[in-house]
Order: sequence, then C-alpha cells, then structure tokens
Amino acid sequence: MQFISLLLIRLIQTIFVIWVVVTIVFVVARIFGNPEAALLPPFDTTEADYEKVRERLGIDKPLYTQYGIFLKDAVQGDLGYSFIRAGSAIDIVADKILPTVKLTAAGLVVAIGLGIPLGILAALTRGSPYDWLARLIAVFGQATPSFWLGLMLIFFLAVRVDWFPTAGAEGFRALVLPAVSLGLLSAAGFMRLTRSGMIDVMNTDFIRTARAKGLNERTVIVRHALRHAMIPVATILGLELGTLIAGSVIIEVVFSWPGLGRLMIESILKDDFPTVQAGVAVIAFSIAMGNLLVDISYRFIDPRIQAAEL
Amino acid sequence: MSERIADTAIETRSRWRIRRPRRIRRSLLLVPPLTIMLMFFVFGIFADIIAPGDPGDTNVLNKLARPVFDGGTSESLLGTDHIGRDIWTRIVHGARISLIVVAIVVPGAALFGSTVGVIAGWRSGKLGQALMRYVDVQLALPAIVFAVLLGAALGASIWNVVLILLFWTWAGYARLVRAEVLSLKEREFVIASMAAGGSGFWIMRKQLLPNVFNTIVVIMTLQVPVVIVAEASLSFLGVGAPVEQATWGRMITEARNYLTQAWWVMWMPGLALMLVALSGNLVGDWLRDLLDPRLRNLG
Repeated sequence: MQFISLLLIRLIQTIFVIWVVVTIVFVVARIFGNPEAALLPPFDTTEADYEKVRERLGIDKPLYTQYGIFLKDAVQGDLGYSFIRAGSAIDIVADKILPTVKLTAAGLVVAIGLGIPLGILAALTRGSPYDWLARLIAVFGQATPSFWLGLMLIFFLAVRVDWFPTAGAEGFRALVLPAVSLGLLSAAGFMRLTRSGMIDVMNTDFIRTARAKGLNERTVIVRHALRHAMIPVATILGLELGTLIAGSVIIEVVFSWPGLGRLMIESILKDDFPTVQAGVAVIAFSIAMGNLLVDISYRFIDPRIQAAEL
Repeated sequence: MSERIADTAIETRSRWRIRRPRRIRRSLLLVPPLTIMLMFFVFGIFADIIAPGDPGDTNVLNKLARPVFDGGTSESLLGTDHIGRDIWTRIVHGARISLIVVAIVVPGAALFGSTVGVIAGWRSGKLGQALMRYVDVQLALPAIVFAVLLGAALGASIWNVVLILLFWTWAGYARLVRAEVLSLKEREFVIASMAAGGSGFWIMRKQLLPNVFNTIVVIMTLQVPVVIVAEASLSFLGVGAPVEQATWGRMITEARNYLTQAWWVMWMPGLALMLVALSGNLVGDWLRDLLDPRLRNLG
C-alpha cells in the first residue's frame, strides 16, 4: 500500500517535471522563433502575408493567450498540428518513437553486454593483460566523442570494407554501428563500476565463508559476489539510460537514423513549435520512467532498501 | 603513545618502499596526457604566432591537398580541406575557440554551481529544497535537445555557446557541493563556530568553502574534456560558433562529405578532439585519485 502511494507521488512529480520542461520550451521557442519566415518565400512577401500565416498557425495572439489555449488542449491530449509537416504533432512524434527505442535499447545491450563481462574479467584477473586491455577500452570509450566514434566506424566498416550500411535503419546490420557508437561511453562506466565493485566484494568475509562452505568458484562469483557488485551498477543504470537517450540524438544525426532525436533537431532548426514540444515531453517522460524503473528494480536486487527510500 | 608513533613511522617508510616504483610508473604514464593538455593551452593562447595564416583563407587551386607525411608538400602540413583552407591553421585556431569556451564555462559554472550548492546545503530548509527541486528538473532535461533549442534561438556566436554550456553544466556542481555541505554541517568545528556566534556568511566562506574546495577542483578538471566535447557537438549539429570561425566540431561536419576522397580532412580535427578529450580525462582521473578518492564512483 505504501509502495503504491509512493509510486503515485513519483508519477505526480514526473508530470510536474514534464509540465515545467514543456513550458520552458514553449516560452523560449515563442520568444526567439520565427516560423512564418520559413514558410514564406523571402521576396515579394508583404507584412499582410506574414500576418495571415501567423494567424493560421495561432501565434498571432499574445503569449499568455497562446499558453492558455495550449494548456487547455494539452490536458485533452491535443498538442497541436505541426507547422511544416502534415498531421498532428503527437502522431508525427509517435511515428519516430519506435526507431529511437530500438536504438537506445541496442545501445543499452552494447553497454551492459560489453561493460559488465569486461568488468568481471578485469576484476578476477586483476593486473593481468586482460585487466589492462579492459581498462584501456574503458579509458578510450570514456574519452571518444560519440559522433566522432560513429564517423570513424562508418569510415572503416562501411566505407573501407562494406560490412555495414553507412546510414538508415533497414535491418539488423544497420543497427550495429549506431548501437556501438552510442553504447561505448556507457559500457566504459559499467565496466569501471563492475570492476571496482567486484574487487571490493571479493575481499569480504562472506565470500570467504562461501568458499569455506565448499561452494564451487562459479557459484561464489555469480551468486554471491556478482549480485553484490551489481548494486552500484543498478544505481547508475538510471543515469546511463538518460545518457543513452540524450546521446541517441547526435547518433541519429550521424547515421541518418529516422528517430525522435533527428526529428527534434530538424524541428528546432525549422521552428516547428508543436513538434518540438511534443517530442521534448516524450523524451523527458522516458527519462523519468527509466529512473523510476531502476528505483523499483533496486528492491529486488537489494532487499535491504525499503519503499520509503524510493 | 611513542610506540604508536614509531609504528606509524615504520609503516610509512615501508609503504613508501613498496609503493614508490608504482608511483613513478604512474607519473611516467602521465607525461603524454599532460604534454597534450599543455600543447592545447599553448596552441589556444598563441594561435596567431604558431599558425600565422588566416584560418578562413581559401585557395580553390589547392583544395584537398595531402598532408606532408602522405605525399603532400610542407606548405600545408596537415593538408587542406574541400575549399583549400589549411587544416593545420584551422586546428590551431580551433583550439583557441575551445580554450576560450573552457576558460569561461568551467570556472563560471563552478562558481555559480558551488555557490548555489553551499547555500542549498547550509539553508537546507525551504530555500534549499526549492533550489534542489530546480536542479532535479534541470538534470532531468534532455540537455542536448535543450542546448540545440537555445542555440537555434540565440543564434550562432561563441558567447551563446558559452551561455548554453554554463546553463548545461552548473547544476552538477550544485548537487555534489550540497551533499558535501550537508555532511560538513554536522562536524564539530562548524558547530563550534555556530556556538561561538559566527555568522552564516562567515561560516560558509571560511569553513565550508575551503573544505569543499578539493571536490570542486576535481569536478572542474573532469569537466574540461566534457565541455570541449560538448562545444564540438554543438558545432557538429550546426548551432555552435558562426560559420566563419574554425572549430573542431564544424571541421568534422564539413568533412563528412569528403570522407571517401580525403581521409585527412575529417581525421585531423577528429584526432585533435579525441587526444585532448583523452588526455583531459586521464589528468582528471589522476587528480581525483590524488585529491578526493571518494569521488571515484562518479563515473
């Protein structure tokens, strides 16, 4: 029961954050943006033409009136129509969610699939060449700007040898390079944290007890040590999810991936206010939900954590 | 008592004997990154002397010229780009832009963020709560989308980039410094100052700030490569410095179309960016282990 009420509080907080974020976007866009200029030819346009376009887009009224109308429509689930594309902002954004989810999930798979095993290996073979190699990968992964990594991968693996397509989202092979470019930074974080966590836990008493009981090494590592080392990893999972969602924006631009991030950048540069607002709301919502899921999953990894700390 | 001191002395001495080779090895490993960071600063400050040419000078007759080590002439050390601009000159002048941005953003965000953090930690009642709720909202924002929005709204100028990155990075300082202050507040020396009648401002300035200083310095160092990469990312997305200025991010964007014909156009600025980011990270890690090992798990 307490758990449910805490979930409700978190949900209300999330809605509040989204409202603040969208309001900031609404105000900033309308103060500085100039969508009518993008819709009309630059010559032979009279002030009356601009006026007509502004009226059609609904941006001729004072800011607070526009905001009132926006809020009234928003609570009914209507975020307006795109200024430059056919259709409502929500439909346009919804179309792009799946490719971005696919890319982010693939990035997360790379981050976890590379980071955690490498971290375990490095911790168990501390000081060995494996350890050095894993740490080298982590240092490079952390320092290489993702867009530069993406371009290098395109250069070597899509241009020099034709293993992967240079752009687009057709099929599984197209997913590989973007996912690696996106996931490597987070993989480095997971690797470092797993490594230090495993090293710490392997020196504790309960590992010695587990060994003394005669458990085989595999059980000791997987059932006892790893589970313990995963607690801090789960903590940064939420943070890394945010990093991945934000990072996907620039990766989508590099690989011409038809997702939400590229849509956002294009819509911002073309002053398509409704699409930007809807997209930012979706991104903020997904970051918040990611954090919430991680907090809930805590309770299963570490039962010592009580609902009150959620 | 004296026995314990003697023990400590022996322990210290033997620890030195064991650790010393490792320390020396570690410091040797630091020579390349420190050199690269130093070069970055020197290039940025003395760009006009090191590369006297104009980074915007085009020469259509000499476009996509090869770098000197790949069959080119010494006239253009690192080759030229698609409209014949000298890549070496542009990289050196690009370092200046990055340096200007770093030199303002990192101390600026540290000053502002730490001030907010100290105040929020000290006055942890309503004021502190309100400040931290705002910080939470900002950290939940998709920073890059917001930066592009602000960049498009404010227009292309390096001062706008500085403003955007200040806005992007200050909240992290605030959160960490506040956490430090919250625990410092319970320590005896602070309580003693309060009991002796020290004013809030005096305690914040004379007791809290000096004690969180190491943390701030460590985050600042780690932020240097982050800010450099963020600036390059903004330029890459087309909302950074104006077109006529040479920045590493813009050089990389513009080179994308010539990737197949002339590898050096994209590789040179990319390598510069990667080397500086890598070195900055290594130096930052080292400084963190030295000054504040507790921050290790920060990522």
